[in-house]
Amino acid sequence: MIRTLATIFATTALLAALPASAADYAQAPGSTLAFATQYDRETFTGTFPGFTTRLSFDPANLAGARLDVAIPLAGARTGNPDRDTTLRGSDFFDASKFPQAHYTASKFRSLGNGDYAADGILDLHGMRKPVTFTFHWTAGAKPVLTGKASVKRLDFGIGSGDWADTRLIPDAVAVSTRVVLIPR
Amino acid sequence: MTWKNTADHWGPVSQALHWLVVALILVLAAVGLSLDSLPKTPKYFWLFTLHKSLGVTVLALVLLRIGWRLYAGSPRPLPMPRWQVHAANGTHALLYALLLAMPISGWLYDSASGLRPFRLFGLVTMPKLVAPDEALRHAALATHQALFWILAATVLLHVAAALHHHWIRHDATLARMLPERRS
Repeated sequence: MIRTLATIFATTALLAALPASAADYAQAPGSTLAFATQYDRETFTGTFPGFTTRLSFDPANLAGARLDVAIPLAGARTGNPDRDTTLRGSDFFDASKFPQAHYTASKFRSLGNGDYAADGILDLHGMRKPVTFTFHWTAGAKPVLTGKASVKRLDFGIGSGDWADTRLIPDAVAVSTRVVLIPR
Repeated sequence: MTWKNTADHWGPVSQALHWLVVALILVLAAVGLSLDSLPKTPKYFWLFTLHKSLGVTVLALVLLRIGWRLYAGSPRPLPMPRWQVHAANGTHALLYALLLAMPISGWLYDSASGLRPFRLFGLVTMPKLVAPDEALRHAALATHQALFWILAATVLLHVAAALHHHWIRHDATLARMLPERRS
């Protein structure tokens, strides 16, 4: 009887511990996802409020690592309402038709010194293309992931028509993020 | 002939500045009133830049004009009731003030919007007067638009008075802002 109870307790404890495994994380407050580009040689930046990250990551087991980021596009903010409207509009994100972007990665490489690269797929504006995301991993009770990627906007049809001119807006957009993670 | 203003006539410098500003204001108003309905794409941005550039040109010309008027004097008031002299002086002062406030509020709007660089006629990068600021952007635009209608009303009054003096009172009010006939 006692042995059975002990087994049940142990099993329950094990099951309870599983979802909280150190390798599975959700996004905690204080996380940011931003981009920087230029218009007519002047840099401006924007943010994607409301993005969500799910990550399975253990530096000792990169083969099991998974990253999934959902990015709502309609809320993208650049500090100017005219520009935000244009960004949401059909020449850019076309957010009414493609409300979210997704970045998923399951191939991770170590670059040394806590730096890693993920070779993932960005699903944006109805197009799926490989994008490499490099990041630094700071372990802890709330691990912090800081990373960046370069996204070629024209590969995804972002900025069409007379916005496509790369003398006005360069093709490469710098995306950067800082994600605070909590075990889930 | 003198370049300066005489007791009974505006000189060529003041006249040139006056009519040049008139022409610029007409273009500025026509372009400015159409800006809202233009597609906000790079193909049309030159019109926004033109409006801003002409506005800054008016700012410079009006400053020059005020400076020249202080240096070169102005013609004596023509014989007319005192209230008309005061009304004319008041209108002119208001016009100068509006012609300075219009480009400054427009420039402030451009600066506060932080949208893109402002290159004068596409050539010279102009400084931003303030950092991007959403509240100021709204205030500057509202001011710019309100001042336009005040300016339009004031110009109408100014033109009506000039034509009244010319056609009904038959005095030299308008003629002395026009090139002198060769005698």
